[in-house]
Amino acid sequence: MAPELSVKQKDYRSNSLWRLTLRRICKQRSAIIGLTLLGILILTAIFAPLIASYDPEKVLIGVEDIKKRQAPCIHVLGCPEDEPQHIMGTDGNVRDEFSRVIYGSRLSLLVGFSTVGFAITVGTLLGAVAGYLGGWVDNVIMRLLDVLMAFPSLLLAIAIVSVLGPGLQNALLAIAIVSIPIYARVVRASVLSVKEQAYVSASKALGASHFHILVRRILPNSIPPLIVQGTLGVGTAILDAAALSFLGLGAQPPTPEWGTMLGSERNQVFTAPHLVFFPGIAIMLTVLAFNLMGDGLRDAIDPRLSQDVKTG
Amino acid sequence: MKSKLFALLAVLVLFSLALTACQPAAPAPEAPAEEAPAAEEAPAEEEAPAAEEAPAAEFEPMVVTAPDCDYGGLIKEIAAVDELTVQFTMCVPDPAFPSKAAFTAFSIQPKEWLEEAIPSGEILEKSVGTGPYVLDSWNRGDSIVFKKNENYWGDAANADTLVFRWSTEGAARLLELQSGTVDGIDNPSPDDFEVIRGDDTLALKDREALNIFYFAMTNTFAPFDDVNVRLAVAKGIDRQRIVDNFYPGGSTAASHFAPCAIPNGCVGDEWYEFDAEGAKAMLADAGYPDGFETTIYYRDVFRSYLPEPGLVATDLQAQLQENLGITASIEVMESGAFIEESTAGRLDGFYLLGWGADYPHITNFLDFHFTSTNPQFGDTFPEVYEVLTEAAQIADPAVAEPLYVEANNALRDLVPMVPIAHGGSGVAYQADVAGAHASPLGNEYFAATDPGGRDTFVWMQNAEPISIYCNDETDGESLRACEQTVEALLSYEIGGTEVKPGLATSCEPNEDLTVWTCNLREGVQFHDGSMLDANDVVMSWYVAWDAASPLHVGNTGAFEYFTYLWGNLLNAE
Repeated sequence: MAPELSVKQKDYRSNSLWRLTLRRICKQRSAIIGLTLLGILILTAIFAPLIASYDPEKVLIGVEDIKKRQAPCIHVLGCPEDEPQHIMGTDGNVRDEFSRVIYGSRLSLLVGFSTVGFAITVGTLLGAVAGYLGGWVDNVIMRLLDVLMAFPSLLLAIAIVSVLGPGLQNALLAIAIVSIPIYARVVRASVLSVKEQAYVSASKALGASHFHILVRRILPNSIPPLIVQGTLGVGTAILDAAALSFLGLGAQPPTPEWGTMLGSERNQVFTAPHLVFFPGIAIMLTVLAFNLMGDGLRDAIDPRLSQDVKTG
Repeated sequence: MKSKLFALLAVLVLFSLALTACQPAAPAPEAPAEEAPAAEEAPAEEEAPAAEEAPAAEFEPMVVTAPDCDYGGLIKEIAAVDELTVQFTMCVPDPAFPSKAAFTAFSIQPKEWLEEAIPSGEILEKSVGTGPYVLDSWNRGDSIVFKKNENYWGDAANADTLVFRWSTEGAARLLELQSGTVDGIDNPSPDDFEVIRGDDTLALKDREALNIFYFAMTNTFAPFDDVNVRLAVAKGIDRQRIVDNFYPGGSTAASHFAPCAIPNGCVGDEWYEFDAEGAKAMLADAGYPDGFETTIYYRDVFRSYLPEPGLVATDLQAQLQENLGITASIEVMESGAFIEESTAGRLDGFYLLGWGADYPHITNFLDFHFTSTNPQFGDTFPEVYEVLTEAAQIADPAVAEPLYVEANNALRDLVPMVPIAHGGSGVAYQADVAGAHASPLGNEYFAATDPGGRDTFVWMQNAEPISIYCNDETDGESLRACEQTVEALLSYEIGGTEVKPGLATSCEPNEDLTVWTCNLREGVQFHDGSMLDANDVVMSWYVAWDAASPLHVGNTGAFEYFTYLWGNLLNAE
């Protein structure tokens, strides 16, 4: 009996939230798939110069004997050796599509992480202040955010970019702004629940300042739902950015951005389907990776959905 | 008993006779009392029809005259000489008068209809022309339906019904044609040309490249105020590469601003050969060894002169960087704002713009773009516009040639823009459509097409017409719709540019080309049943010409083509 007890004690000691979460994630097939896809995506973005065979912005007119919107040519699949190899063909400006898709991953990750990062920072600040202070401050902040949420997010983003002018930077700002209310609401809900906990009351009794209580006691315990929401939000942000770029409001030529690539070749669905297929697939896989990850994280973090709790 | 019966009968007969006798007399006492004053007040013109059919002798000719020619326009007077003769007196000789007068923007509608429909705004939605089709209904956002004009003075339309539809996407238009829901489409994408040629059920008609696409700079902004910078750009762009990669067959790299198909269009020295090294050195000498930063502006709109604006802009961006070290960002602008800013000379970088022929004359290309009053390229060049003004007054192209040589060479030296390409385009039809054609002026005439014996010909173009009052439109999609219902004094041959008789059987000049007399066709009936006369012509021109007229109202009220082609408007502020 004694050795058995020692194992349980060891488990107990190591069961921090993050280790538990990781263990639970590893038990979910979809989360594993999401994590794998995300890993590949991140590696692709980091090693893009090594993977891509061409400069993504290099126009190959006069460099190679190749036409615009050339179909994919892969030597091992039977494409003649004397033709230059372009795994995903060339685009309308005679640039290597594969290199552009590879480099596009960098931009998509940048878009996803930077917009969500900005939105989480501002949203956390607003949600925490609203939830902790309550009263009229809570009312003012949350009603303003309700107004922001009442607009369809993409429409609002289009309106913001229309005012600021097209461009990647403005598109990022627009997407970040429309994402703020979601995070603010999540943080506020967590803060409202956590601030009633005994350890928060204890800190108050010990004379801790509001700032100390909020930053050291409440916020760290409000983070888990924010992480879930943030992971899911990255996928949405990438989709929104692609939509804005598709409409010509996001990244501008010659930047290799998947939405822009789709938009510029949208009329070639029948004549050069590879030019809409590959950027489309890239967007789909990226968003799927973040969604699967987000779902997995949610299931792992939320005790109500936890398999351990249910069975234990 | 018998006598009583006869007496009763006699009374009845007398009574009925009395009634009959009284019948016409009954209103008579009232009529003079009430109608007489009205008759006195009514002008002679209105009284005449009541008396009998209006005789020709009572035609009151309408005359509109400018006080002098200082207002800046070309027209001095428009006068109805008699019922079927109109006389245009010009301020200066105008050899291009017939070419211009054939343009749909100078179409004729009845005087009475204009007086009624312009103030109410009805003119924008409905036209009363003389054309082979009558506007039946306009389902905004969906289609326009025209019905055959049974009383047309010329050859009647082949199809009973003509339907106009539209789609901005070339792929969508082709899909409709392939599925057989439309009989003809405008401007298939260049990449689809081979697909159409390879399809037995379709027929592609090439449209002659009567246009110019140019890469413009505004010389009031640095560094484009330096002619050496502009020259470096002119030499540093491989124009043939653009034509080879982004234009359909039939397109050519521009040797001059105007196409060679236009008389005197490409006289003078050809444009510079591509020379990247020379251009880079020239830019360095101008003080920009590492290039500079600027913007390329364009609108994402398909035009025959620029079928793939996004791709061309990106290629120019790459060429500027590669050949000259110029870093250019690309800015796509909304179409209306782009035209407004570029034509006013307010764009501080490069911009992509072009021009399609409205009428087949050199003045339509050079005079519009390079007159002294056009701020589009910044400060204007007397070396160009003074020569053009002189040349425009010469009727014989051979006599005018030396002047156009001088003007074209001056454009080459001063480089207000870089002429890139004359873009070919096409029109695709179902293979069984007889009389299928592509007009170099973009004004296809569908009365001449027979949709394989079907009752209805369905046409799909790039966009919905803006209005159907084309005297105040510049939009090609609107002008093509108007072409089917209204007619001008003269016309262009179907699928060509030669000027033919229209509502006028002829327009003859005097010796010095300052007076043009047009003889109207007899027996031409408008769609409302009224007959064409000279006053209809004067009125149709007058409402556009006189900016102070209460009828000088249309879609925008700018009557831009009138200004482009005939100079300033009368009484313009």
